[in-house]
Amino acid sequence: MINFIIKRLAYTVLVMLGVSLIVFFIIYLAPGDPVLLILGDNATQEEIVAKRIEMGFNQPLWKQYLIYIFGVIKGDLGTSLYYNKPCADIIFPLLKNTIILTFSSMVLSLFIAIPFGIIAAVKRGTITDLGAMTFAMLGQACSPVWLGILLVLVFAVKLGWLPAFGTEGFKALILPSISLGTPLAALTVRLVRSGMIDTLDEDYILAARAKGEPYVTVVTKYALRNVLLPVITVVGMQVGQYLGGAVVTEQIFAWNGVGRLMVTSISRRDYPMVQTCLLLASFLYVMVNLFVDILYMYIDPRLRIRNNGSRKFNLSVINGKNNSNIDKTSFKQGI
Amino acid sequence: MKTSNISIKRFLRSKFFMVGIITALLIIFSCVFADKIVKYDPTLPDFNARLLAPEWFSKGLHGHVLGTDALGRDILARLLYGGRYSLLVSFIAVSVAALIGCVLGTISGFYSNWIDMLIMRFGDIQLSIPPLMLAIAIVAVMGPNLVNLVIVLIIWGWPGFARLIRGNTLSIRNNEFVSASRVLGASNISIMFTQVFPNVLTPTIVYGSQALGGRILTEAALSYLGLGVQPPTPSWGVMIANGRDYLTAAPWVVLAPGLMLMFTVLAFNLLGDGIRDVLDPKMK
Repeated sequence: MINFIIKRLAYTVLVMLGVSLIVFFIIYLAPGDPVLLILGDNATQEEIVAKRIEMGFNQPLWKQYLIYIFGVIKGDLGTSLYYNKPCADIIFPLLKNTIILTFSSMVLSLFIAIPFGIIAAVKRGTITDLGAMTFAMLGQACSPVWLGILLVLVFAVKLGWLPAFGTEGFKALILPSISLGTPLAALTVRLVRSGMIDTLDEDYILAARAKGEPYVTVVTKYALRNVLLPVITVVGMQVGQYLGGAVVTEQIFAWNGVGRLMVTSISRRDYPMVQTCLLLASFLYVMVNLFVDILYMYIDPRLRIRNNGSRKFNLSVINGKNNSNIDKTSFKQGI
Repeated sequence: MKTSNISIKRFLRSKFFMVGIITALLIIFSCVFADKIVKYDPTLPDFNARLLAPEWFSKGLHGHVLGTDALGRDILARLLYGGRYSLLVSFIAVSVAALIGCVLGTISGFYSNWIDMLIMRFGDIQLSIPPLMLAIAIVAVMGPNLVNLVIVLIIWGWPGFARLIRGNTLSIRNNEFVSASRVLGASNISIMFTQVFPNVLTPTIVYGSQALGGRILTEAALSYLGLGVQPPTPSWGVMIANGRDYLTAAPWVVLAPGLMLMFTVLAFNLLGDGIRDVLDPKMK
């Protein structure tokens, strides 16, 4: 177990170094001079030269990267061009809002999806099952942008029950949470339902029932534990993504989080801030994935045993080739 | 001949496939032949016809069937012409991502050495950046236009295909028919593309058809944020963004593109599920 965690941590450091390379070089994707990109077309020659020296662009590229990465390690995430303050001072207070939104949408979606998925599987072929599958299909096909606007139209504009935007108070949290949680709930309903259908056909479920266990206990105690494994992977990955900023939802509801900061920083051409948002989002995403992998080992004893006995399996888990590979790949791709 | 007949019958029997393919074809044909269906120009403003409510089919296809937007442009026309961009961008992005993913995934799985490590680690690193944020950052830096939008969606998509193909190649490369080709003197390249690749095509098609729906939604999100298709060119995301300011006065401006988007994504998702059920029931 400890071996696994150490190897997984080492791999995480490697991945983060790679991410920092991408984040650092993104600004060089722009056609032309990055300094011109930052200052705009009206900058004078003196301003351009001064900015180039200030930002270290007169140094060789490898040196610039090393300065950047050592700065990040020391906690210096760069200086925002718009606020003229360290990026960390701006981004960390907003992270709290993003965390609140992420967890409320996660709790909401799991609260709906898990019972709904279980009931749909147990009552397969009934109207409840049909309802669950329709919800799952529509929820996955619905654009988060459109859903958000639709919620504003109904609950804020027509009914006037909830505020259309803002970050203050519990009421302001409800619509963004529903908007963000619905696609996740749709996916989770589908996962729980199909997992539960497969699991309920297993021999050990039959054995538990033959022992005389009540059906509710069989479903919630024996079957659900197995069904939850892929759900944890998928929910974990989604939470990891949201923690870095639920860009579209935060933008629609003017939720003052990291995602909105990223979009506004883009329109302000505040590229150090964009880089910081990207780096922080990736860091949180990678850390949540690490946490999910470790959680997986705790929940599934088979993984612990196999992991203790075989180095090959460690690597296969690291490479993402465990049981949930298809789910992970599909999900990372936003399918 | 017999096998292909059986396959066609299985496709025809799959409800998911049939609903998906019929809806998808209907949407694609409506968008491709938009100029034959609607008579209005999707970009030309008509200030005498601002925010008209839907007339439905009271004047056949000659009226504003789905109403007009704030600049008096016909919503149905913008929906169908806009669909051309949304669908084309997604099709090209998924096809090119699939091609890159197939080549790199097959090479990676076949050689399983330092090349494999290099390709897969690069994919892992890329997948460690939340994809929408990476897409936004790249488009923002490179400049928002159609070509950059397609490039970003390709960058988004290739690691998924590469991982999938690599996994399948790994399980196929030690099969007897591959060894037989090697004994007969076939080169590595020939084995990769004549023996291995045809055998990993099925999961690629299934994954690709499911990826299409996802890319259509991404295109809409990026266009909504002003980082995709640029106005006045119509696209479903742009239409949703434009209609937001007129939610109370003219909700149809937002409702129409959102519903169209949902039906399109639903059609491709069902199509993907149907193809998977018929071609690869193990993936179910």
